[in-house]
Amino acid sequence: MIINVGGNETFVATGGQAFDPKKPTVVFVHGSGLDHRCWALQSRWFAFHGYSVFAPDFPGHSLSKGEPLLSIEEMGEWLVEALVVAGVESIHLVGHSMGFLIVLESASLLGDRLKSITAVASAAAIPVNEELISTAETSATNAADLMLRWGFGSHTQLGSSAVPGMQPIAIGRQIMSDNPLAIDLKACRDYSAGKSRAESLSYPANVILADEDKMTPCNFGLELASSLNANVSTIKNSGHMLPMESPKRTLDAIKSFVIKNSN
Amino acid sequence: MGKSSFLGPETIALYSGYQPDPLYGSRATPIYQTTSYAFETVDEGASLFNIEKGGHIYSRITNPTVAILEQRIAALEGGSGTVCTASGMSALFVTFITLCSAGDHIVSATQIYGSTATLLRHTLKRLGIDCTFVPINDEVALKGAIQKNTKLVFCESIGNPGLEVSDLPAIADIAHENGIPVVVDATFATPSLCKSFEHGVDIVVHSVTKWMGGHGVAIGGAIVDGGSFDWGKHGKHPTITEPYDPFHGISFWEEYGPSAFVMRIRAESMRDLGPSMSPHTAFLLLQGIETLELRMQKHVENAKKLTQWLLKQELVTWVNHPDLPDNPTHSIAERLFPYGAGSMLCFGVVGDRDGGSAFLDALELCSNLANVGDSRTLVLHPASTTHSRMDNDAMIAAGISPDLIRVSVGIESIEDIIQDFKVGLRAAGRLTK
Repeated sequence: MIINVGGNETFVATGGQAFDPKKPTVVFVHGSGLDHRCWALQSRWFAFHGYSVFAPDFPGHSLSKGEPLLSIEEMGEWLVEALVVAGVESIHLVGHSMGFLIVLESASLLGDRLKSITAVASAAAIPVNEELISTAETSATNAADLMLRWGFGSHTQLGSSAVPGMQPIAIGRQIMSDNPLAIDLKACRDYSAGKSRAESLSYPANVILADEDKMTPCNFGLELASSLNANVSTIKNSGHMLPMESPKRTLDAIKSFVIKNSN
Repeated sequence: MGKSSFLGPETIALYSGYQPDPLYGSRATPIYQTTSYAFETVDEGASLFNIEKGGHIYSRITNPTVAILEQRIAALEGGSGTVCTASGMSALFVTFITLCSAGDHIVSATQIYGSTATLLRHTLKRLGIDCTFVPINDEVALKGAIQKNTKLVFCESIGNPGLEVSDLPAIADIAHENGIPVVVDATFATPSLCKSFEHGVDIVVHSVTKWMGGHGVAIGGAIVDGGSFDWGKHGKHPTITEPYDPFHGISFWEEYGPSAFVMRIRAESMRDLGPSMSPHTAFLLLQGIETLELRMQKHVENAKKLTQWLLKQELVTWVNHPDLPDNPTHSIAERLFPYGAGSMLCFGVVGDRDGGSAFLDALELCSNLANVGDSRTLVLHPASTTHSRMDNDAMIAAGISPDLIRVSVGIESIEDIIQDFKVGLRAAGRLTK
C-alpha cells in the first residue's frame, strides 16, 4: 500500500493481505541499502496467519519517494510517524541489522502500543569501515559487493538458496545498488546511543543471531541481548543476511516469539 | 546487472547450488527422482502453496536436482534466478507469453533459429501476439519497429545460420529508451564466452541441450533473469507489476523485485503449462556443465584452427566465422567475445549443392546431423537436408547458399577433424573434374 508520510509517498508491503490497523501488526524494518523485499519470506506468513504486516521502504529506498534520512534518530521518528499515519494499534517491531537500531529509537516513542521487539542479525552499535563508506559514496554496487561477500554465509557463497532456482547474492546486490547505501552506512557509523536505549527498554525482546555473521558478530549480538534481557537464538550455517539466507529458520524464530507475546 | 557469486566460473561450474547432503554426504549431486514432497504439517503445506515460504511442492513446479542446475546456471550468467524447462523452445515460449498477452507485439531479429522464427511468426500470432522482424544491428530499423504495444526485443547473441553477432549494448540502449527489456538466446555463446547481462541484456534464454550440456544426451532449456530491469518504472508489463488473482492479488514486482520475472514464470507457466525438466535430465546436464569452461576453451581453439585451415584450401570457396575480418559483425564480436565468438562456422565447397552432399557423405569421423553444441564435431548441409525442399533462389533469400556447410566444431584432436575434412573436400573436388 502507499501512504503519505511527511509529504512523501511511502510504499509499505503488507504481505499480500489488505492492511487492517486493528489487528496486531508485525512491523519489519529493513537494513542498510535494502528494502521490504528482504522480508518476503517472513511477512507473507504473518499476513496470512492473523496479523497485519507493515514493511515500509524507508524514504528514498526502492519504491518509496523522498530524500533518504541521515540519522538513525530521524529514521526512528519517521517510523513512528508512519505507524501513526497507518493507525496501528498493537505493534511488534522486527529489525534487521540497521533496522534494529531504528527499532531501538522508535521503541521508547510507542508506549504501550508496542508489544515486543526482535533483533535479527544486529547489535547495539554497528561501526562501519570508512573505506566502505568511501566506496559506497563512489559506487553503491562496489560497496554492495564488499558487503555481500561478508554478509552471506558459506552456504550461500557456494550458490545455495532457500528459494529454488534463485541467487540471493544477485538479488541483494541489485537492491543495494539502487538505494542510498552510503547514507545508511554513515547513519550506522554515527549512531552511539544503542546500548543506553537498549538498557532503558523493558519490552519483551528477542535476539536472533547467525553463527557465521561477520558484520555484526555473535558476541556483539549477545551483548545486545544482555542489555535487553532478551530471549536469544542462534541460527547455524548462516551469515548476516539472515532473512534472505535462512528465511524459514528466521521466520520460525520470529513467529514463536511474536505469538507468545501476542496474548 | 546481477553478479551472483564471488567464485570463478570454473569453481561455480563444479560447486554452485549444492553442498554434500547432510544425510549421506553424497559429493555428487543426487537425483531427487520424486514427484512430490511430504509436508511437515498442514500449515506448512498451505504456506508453501501460498508462497509464504520457499520449498518444494511438486516436481512440475520445482525439484531439488533441477533447482541445483537452475542456481548453477544463474551463478554462471550472473543472474538473480533461473527456471529450467523441458527444452530451449519451451523456455522461449514461456518467456514470450509471460511478458506478452493478446494484442501485444515483439520485435525480433530476422536472423534467428528456424523454429523460433516459426514460433514468433505463426504460433504466437495465433494467440494474438504479433512480431516484426528487423535486421537487429540496423538501429534505424529497430527503432522504427518498436510500437506502443511492444513488450520486448528478441535476438540471438550469435545469429543462426549467418553467424552475425548482435550488438547487445546498442540494442539494449534502444530497448531501454522505450521501456522494454532485451531477451537474448545465448545458446551459441554460453556464459563462458559472453556475459550477456554485462552488455545490457535483461533476460537470457538457453537451449542447454547444446554447449551447456555438451554431451548430446539430454534436451533442456533455461530462462535466466538478469534482475536489473525496472519493471515498475514504465508500467508496460502488467503481468509483472499488476495484482495476480491466483495468489491473492500478489504483485510480483512489489514482492520480489529483482527476481519478479522468474517468480512469475514459476508461479504461472510452470504450474499451468507444465514444461518442466526431469530431475534425471538436470543431473545429466549438471555433469556437462561441470566442464563447461574447459570445453568452451577447446571448442573455440579448434574452431579458430579449423577456420584458418579452411581458408587455405583451394576446394573451399568461402569461410564465415565472426572472428574473421570479413564477417560483417567482426568488430562487434571482438568487443563482446574477447576469447572467440563460439565454435560454429560455415563454409562453401566447390561443386555447389552436389559438392556439399559429396563432402558430407565422405566424412568418417564427424557426424552428419541436425544439432549443434555437442562435444563431437557436427556437420550439416542444409541444401540437402533441412532446406532441401527449397530451390536455390529461395535458399539464397533465406541466407543459405546451396554449397553452405554448417559446422559445430567439437573438442576432438584438431588433426583428426582436419584429416576428416580433407577426405570430404577430396570427394567434393572429384565432382568438378
